[in-house]
Amino acid sequence: MTDGPKDDQGTPLGLRAGGGAGDEGTPIAPDLPELPVSNIKELFTDNLFKDAKNTVLTLVFGSALLYALYRGLTFVFLNTKVIDGVERSGWEVVSDRLQIYMLGPNFLGTGVTLSSVWIGIAVLLAAAGIAFGLLSDPDAPPMRPRTRVAMIGAPGLGIVLILSMTDTITPKLLTVAVAAVAFVAFRLATRVPDAQRGRVGLLALVLLLVAFGFMTGWDPSNVNDFGGLLLTITVSLVCIAACFPIGIVMALARRSSFPLIRPIAVAYIEFIRGVPLITLLFIGQFALGFLFPPNTDTPGPIPRAMIMITLFSAAYVAEIVRGGLQSVPNGQTEAGQAVGLSPLTITRRIVLPQALRNSIPPLIGQFISLLKDTSLVVIIGLQDLLGVIAPILGGEQFRFQGFSPEAYAFVGFVYWIICFTMSRASQRLETRLGVGTR
Amino acid sequence: MSTTEDLRSAAIVPGGTGEAIITLSDVDKFFGDFQALKDINLVVGQQEVVVIIGPSGSGKSTMIRCINHLEEHTNGRIVVDGVELSGDIRNIQEIRRECGMVFQSFNLFPHMTVLENITLGPRQVRKKPKAEAEAHGMELLTRVKIPEQANKFPGQLSGGQQQRVAIARALAMEPKVMLFDEPTSALDPEMIKEVLDAMQDLAESGMTMVVVTHEMGFARAVADRVVFMADGEIVEVGTPEHFFEDPKEDRTKLFLSQIL
Repeated sequence: MTDGPKDDQGTPLGLRAGGGAGDEGTPIAPDLPELPVSNIKELFTDNLFKDAKNTVLTLVFGSALLYALYRGLTFVFLNTKVIDGVERSGWEVVSDRLQIYMLGPNFLGTGVTLSSVWIGIAVLLAAAGIAFGLLSDPDAPPMRPRTRVAMIGAPGLGIVLILSMTDTITPKLLTVAVAAVAFVAFRLATRVPDAQRGRVGLLALVLLLVAFGFMTGWDPSNVNDFGGLLLTITVSLVCIAACFPIGIVMALARRSSFPLIRPIAVAYIEFIRGVPLITLLFIGQFALGFLFPPNTDTPGPIPRAMIMITLFSAAYVAEIVRGGLQSVPNGQTEAGQAVGLSPLTITRRIVLPQALRNSIPPLIGQFISLLKDTSLVVIIGLQDLLGVIAPILGGEQFRFQGFSPEAYAFVGFVYWIICFTMSRASQRLETRLGVGTR
Repeated sequence: MSTTEDLRSAAIVPGGTGEAIITLSDVDKFFGDFQALKDINLVVGQQEVVVIIGPSGSGKSTMIRCINHLEEHTNGRIVVDGVELSGDIRNIQEIRRECGMVFQSFNLFPHMTVLENITLGPRQVRKKPKAEAEAHGMELLTRVKIPEQANKFPGQLSGGQQQRVAIARALAMEPKVMLFDEPTSALDPEMIKEVLDAMQDLAESGMTMVVVTHEMGFARAVADRVVFMADGEIVEVGTPEHFFEDPKEDRTKLFLSQIL
């Protein structure tokens, strides 16, 4: 899923971005795989219809491709179904229930107002915009158009999606407004001078907490009513933020020369890596409570899931960071020692920064998998972005029975938008920190 | 044998001002079963330049890495500036502060600018304020003739420039001794001279230096004493004149005939 650290220009973005470039044709001519196609005519004469064999292959695969494209486009744009004699758009299952996909079935009505949620979204997107802006390199040459499209393509598609799925004007306007907030935050953050970046980054973190405050209506216990995309994002952010430091500590512990620390870290990492996440989630729901003293309030199901996902990911982060640590030559440590630095300073100032920089690509990969793995909380009864589908399809006397293709396609697309954006962010971060160059 | 006695006295009588700053007595070093250093006795005097030569695998690098405890010696005593090296981390750090070290592969910190490389030690270990550390860093960069590179990253510099930064980084701690572990071996030929020049300037300023090198021209021009090592032992010690004109030991003669 994750791209390697190499240049992204080779990725067939057009194909992934939404099927619009499906007429490119399948690569024929296996004997000339790298033939540069300089113009359309050459493509046809030298590649697609070079001889009888190629022509047959082109016709077979071309028609299959066109048919798939036709079915795909009608599914997206001409999707109507007749149910009980009434013609309905297949996307009703999204547009009529958008709020449930976003916030979950139980969220509103717990005292959190919709306006508070919108403010929360605006603040959250401002934080995201700042984070993206800080990752941009002010000295970088202007982005190539293709890169630019890839950068804004996924979030842009997300906005278009929401706009097309809302019926009234207010959510449309609000969507555009929060997107504008994110964009302005992004532009402002790109202009922050290097020396201030740390402080502005801290501001983004504070904004994240503020957003959480608005989302919960300033009552953290409302977290237990989170659902839909809100739950997915909350669980992901909390788990990413928590598993990262734990993973670093575990990686360092695994290399430690102290007698007891290393075996503990090894046992932790190997235990977690040997157990499926679903098992851990069940342990969290049914066994974690026994670790708390009797007669105390145990955390609710959502925090328990967060704890287990965090512990799970921390083990993988630890192994990734350990790999990064091993990639730092021993001479770096020796140079630090020769200057008289303490072991702690050597780790903190010399080894760890280099190790983490080398670990960015696999780390982001791990975080993307974490985000996707959060969908496993469905199995313990949480209603995250994936989990809301069942109550939607089954709710209101099965009003949306038979709409599952649309519901799953929508949810899958939302996951893709988020993961693709994260993958782009990681590439920005790599360029920014000069992975592999400095 | 009188030659052994000669060798012993040549090795343990400090040159320079005549006052000892580094003393190695009966030092042994084992890597598993392999003995890398055998019964090393050497005294380096203040302001003296000692050049250590010898075939590869002879224990030269191991010896100077023992002096600042990058390697732990197995037996014997090492005393630097009156402090004996023991397992105690405070002793080790005290000695490391007094011994600047320059490595074959530079070992600059690639994620820091040149100036940050130089000021990290003074700021963290000597607790110097930032401005003072940077001013001193710039002074040292000027001394090694690359002040204009201060804000670049090591990867943007040539090998010779990087090694001069490494020298400046070691000097920034204001050490009493500088240890050089084959400082020119990883350099392209045209860059060797600029590094040797910087080292020669340093020697002329009165710095105590222990240099492992294959640069015989440098040894001849700058060394007060030359130490020849083979198979983990000190085989012969003498002034450059004695050494290059009139070597006594067969192994020394063989080595010199191979490289000169």
